[in-house]
Amino acid sequence: MAVRNIFRQKRRTILTGLSMFGGFVLGSFFIAWADGTYNGIIDMFTRTRLGHIQIHAGDYLDQPSLYKTIDDLAKIGPVIEAVKGVESWAPRVDFGGLVSVGDKSAGARLTGIDPARENETTHFDRRIVEGRAFSLAPSHEAVIGSGLAKNLEAGIGGSLVVLSQAADGSMANDAYRIVGIATTGDEMTDRTSVYLHWKDAQDLMVLGDRVHEIAVVVDSLSAGPWVTRLLRERLGDPKLSVEPWQVFARSFYNAMKADKEGMWITLLVVILIVAVGVLNTVLMAVLERRREYGLLKAVGTRPRQVFEIVMMEAAFLAVVCILLGSVVALILNSYVSAHGIRLSEPISYGGIKLASMNTELNLRSFLIPALTVLATAGLAALFPSLKAARTVPAKTMRMH
Amino acid sequence: MNALKRTSTIIILAALCGLAPFSPAALPEGPKAGDLILGGPLSSTDIREVIRKIDEMYRSRSSAATLEMEIVTPHWQRTLKMRVWSEGMDKTFVRIDEPLKEKGVATLRIGNDMWNYLPKTGKVIKVPPSMMMGSWMGSDFTNDDLVKEYTFVDDYTFEPATVENPESGVVYIKCTPREGVPVVWGSVLIEARESDAIPLRERYYDGTGRLMREMVFKDVGSLGGRVIPKTLELVSATKAGQHTVLRYTEASFDKPLDPAIFSLRNLRSGD
Amino acid sequence: MPRTGFFIKLAWRNMLRNKRRSAIAASAIGIGLAALIFTDAFIAGMKNNMIHTATASFLGEGQIHARGFRTTQAPELTIRELAQVTKKLKDERRIGHFALRTVASGMATSPAEARPVMIYGVDPENERYLSQVDDTIKEGDFFTGEDLRELVIGAKLAKDLQAGLGSWIVLTCSTAGTGEISQELFRISGIYEFGIPEMDGGMAFIRLGMGQRMLGAGTEVHEIALKFVDSRDAGRKGLTLWQDLSAAGNEALPWTELLPQLKGVFDMTSAFLAVTGLILFTIVTFGIVNTLFMSFYERMFEFGVLRAVGTRPSAMRKLVLFEAGALAVLSLGLGTILGLALTAVAARTGIDYRGIEFAGATVRDLIYPQLSGRQFLIYPAAVFIFTLVVALYPARAAGKLNVAEALRRSL
Repeated sequence: MAVRNIFRQKRRTILTGLSMFGGFVLGSFFIAWADGTYNGIIDMFTRTRLGHIQIHAGDYLDQPSLYKTIDDLAKIGPVIEAVKGVESWAPRVDFGGLVSVGDKSAGARLTGIDPARENETTHFDRRIVEGRAFSLAPSHEAVIGSGLAKNLEAGIGGSLVVLSQAADGSMANDAYRIVGIATTGDEMTDRTSVYLHWKDAQDLMVLGDRVHEIAVVVDSLSAGPWVTRLLRERLGDPKLSVEPWQVFARSFYNAMKADKEGMWITLLVVILIVAVGVLNTVLMAVLERRREYGLLKAVGTRPRQVFEIVMMEAAFLAVVCILLGSVVALILNSYVSAHGIRLSEPISYGGIKLASMNTELNLRSFLIPALTVLATAGLAALFPSLKAARTVPAKTMRMH
Repeated sequence: MNALKRTSTIIILAALCGLAPFSPAALPEGPKAGDLILGGPLSSTDIREVIRKIDEMYRSRSSAATLEMEIVTPHWQRTLKMRVWSEGMDKTFVRIDEPLKEKGVATLRIGNDMWNYLPKTGKVIKVPPSMMMGSWMGSDFTNDDLVKEYTFVDDYTFEPATVENPESGVVYIKCTPREGVPVVWGSVLIEARESDAIPLRERYYDGTGRLMREMVFKDVGSLGGRVIPKTLELVSATKAGQHTVLRYTEASFDKPLDPAIFSLRNLRSGD
Repeated sequence: MPRTGFFIKLAWRNMLRNKRRSAIAASAIGIGLAALIFTDAFIAGMKNNMIHTATASFLGEGQIHARGFRTTQAPELTIRELAQVTKKLKDERRIGHFALRTVASGMATSPAEARPVMIYGVDPENERYLSQVDDTIKEGDFFTGEDLRELVIGAKLAKDLQAGLGSWIVLTCSTAGTGEISQELFRISGIYEFGIPEMDGGMAFIRLGMGQRMLGAGTEVHEIALKFVDSRDAGRKGLTLWQDLSAAGNEALPWTELLPQLKGVFDMTSAFLAVTGLILFTIVTFGIVNTLFMSFYERMFEFGVLRAVGTRPSAMRKLVLFEAGALAVLSLGLGTILGLALTAVAARTGIDYRGIEFAGATVRDLIYPQLSGRQFLIYPAAVFIFTLVVALYPARAAGKLNVAEALRRSL
């Protein structure tokens, strides 16, 4: 009977349904979009620069030192690979030195990378703006930051001389051919960074097989925390520190956290408005039909049944709208997830250029709006339906 | 930024130019062994004399020397053998002879310009003045020690110091930097031989009286016509497992030097 | 045709007749409006806070340097025509405060350690308005004494140097032009703590005079930090003062160009909130459409009766429109009051994001939503106009009403 009622008053049903449907779709889109944008940024940031997890020796994170090294890479590497959820990893060597091209010199931060692994993990090759990335085998090549290239007036093919103090105290010095120029978007980094093949770096600094850092990328952002735990367990070395990006990139994490909190406030507002909208329409619909209910009672329908009818109508309508809404939302969110909303001007955030904002398809973008619509519809129908159940037929029928 | 500091240590190879022993002063001749200060409480003039002698012990208008530096740190140990030439206050040339890995490395400093020659690559790097600070080659010597623009006699005030268990024949002097002189030490306690003002020990304290490091003078002998300690040992009191020993093998003072030594060509010659 | 006043009265009376329905409808729209107002105020407050956070700690809202100084940091590149520039700054009414600084990279040495630092020679009087270093002093003070050798450093640097208040530190840098090494002795007179490692571990502040002396810069300076009377001026690239101050080989830049990462964050937050606003507005419009249509169709019988007794189509239309208008006015009233109240409360207590650090700055102040005229004019006006526009459809339908059908439909 509830169903019949619904179809009888098409216009009313449609209007009521519209607020539920519209509210659901918009709510769903908002959540998908907010989640997508933030997670997109976090993912991009962690993937292209930091890695999701980093491994160091001891307190290297707080007090970096040439001597705080990870010594048994040969053993650790396979352990990391074997952990489920790890997408790729890359070892790095870090030290400071004086670099010079021609008669220009400057202090620099040097990083030895494993070209194959680094490309896979942080897409290092995408940062090259001029020239090319490293050859797979160590060939005395160097890639320098764009700012540094400018300061040293250096170009592709130039010879870069590096001077530093090696791990055995000797004067580390050698020359490398500049094959590429890279940017990270961060001015300071670009002004002081030099990249070498890690084998060349280890040779130069008499480090043998030791490295300072291992960056790990996991296949999905949410897997971060438990992969970290798993890694710690499997590696089982108290002298190694395994930390997720929330720890080693704390300031970035805090900034994201703050923004996300701000988003919660707005989400609350959105939910509120959806709820109020649904409340409004359902309430109106139910209230307007008091005469109908009076009629029902007059023909003998029991109070309880009247109550149930009203509630079921509301519930049924809500469910239908949610389902319809889900379909539309699914299509909409999927589309925007794949194509994104193009920004008129790309935003550069922490050195990364954001050209479009994408939604993320996830469960809660459907669950939250669904619950909201259902709950408010039910709530809105509750009071009037109780009243309807109790109405005296004569009174209501006299209303119009 | 630690790494940058480490880098500057190597750079200070050049600071050898001003290595205390070889900073020239206007003095026409070196101190003569044998100036005696006989026993009894020292007058302030006596103290001044001692200080002056210590300051001038290693100074000259020009010098040429061969020396050995042994550096011990918690992470590594090495011994360098090198030859050093200096002229006036602003010209120095250093050539490393050992170990093999660094053989042929040379540094030239003329005024505020400094260059390093690296035989492995055959390249010359010009070192920016801003990098010429911090400790020297990972040793315990700082640029201040090596450039030593400040003399005890001019830039410090001094007074006799009382110590527990003073050794006989040894004079103890407490030196305090004068107002405004840019040295970080709160005070320096100098122990010297009463008989000939040969320094035995210098103890460096910070502003709160904490011992930061100690320089010990050993192997008094003949060097370039002077009788002076040939070995300087610098031990850090705050960093465990860290000390540096400087040993002079040969030296000659105030002999005329070929100006071609202080040239880029000489730098590159690898000799 | 009855006069407008009649319709207005009728519209109101109809509204008030069904208080419950009107109240619910008005609330729905009103809350939506309130939300829009609050979100807008929140955005504004957040933007202000961001700017303030980034610029107030030390950067300033704009800076002037000699051209080329920012990339090379060469000590001889001091600001050209300093006297002229300072005069222009004093005369420029948009500029609230400005501070002169010398900037040099060098080393700080203590008896135990040596560390590289950026040495800033500052003028304490004016610097107070530009940076928060004086606000974050945890030991000592910010140049209140007479001593020229006062030094203020960050807590991290003090720790790295194993030094404290009263310790003697030697600062070394190279002089302008000759590159000669310049060293001076200082005594730590103040220790600050920002909570940002770069600021706490890599900067050293001395008096401007000492900075100039060490660098052999005479009376020249390297940097002038600016603070505007109205912070938003810093974002207005079109102002003539930028060009004016960039004359003679200098370059005057707003913080947006000095801290591009912050601008990125700023833009992103703006974009985010713009989309949010759009979604909110859409939801509100849905509510309006729903309400108006619903109320029309629910009262079909009523309208049928009206037609039956001879009301003309134009009058019918007018009635619907005026009722919509009345509803709109009620909603606006409710919404604006609610929005105002909410925002005012939040503006008083502030929203706490303190301690969060991003793009090199730490949020120190609470976010205060900012009320602006726009919120009380544009949004309500938009809602009002939209309501009337939406009401046109049922108004038209009311005019064309077929009496018999209308009377029949109501059951």
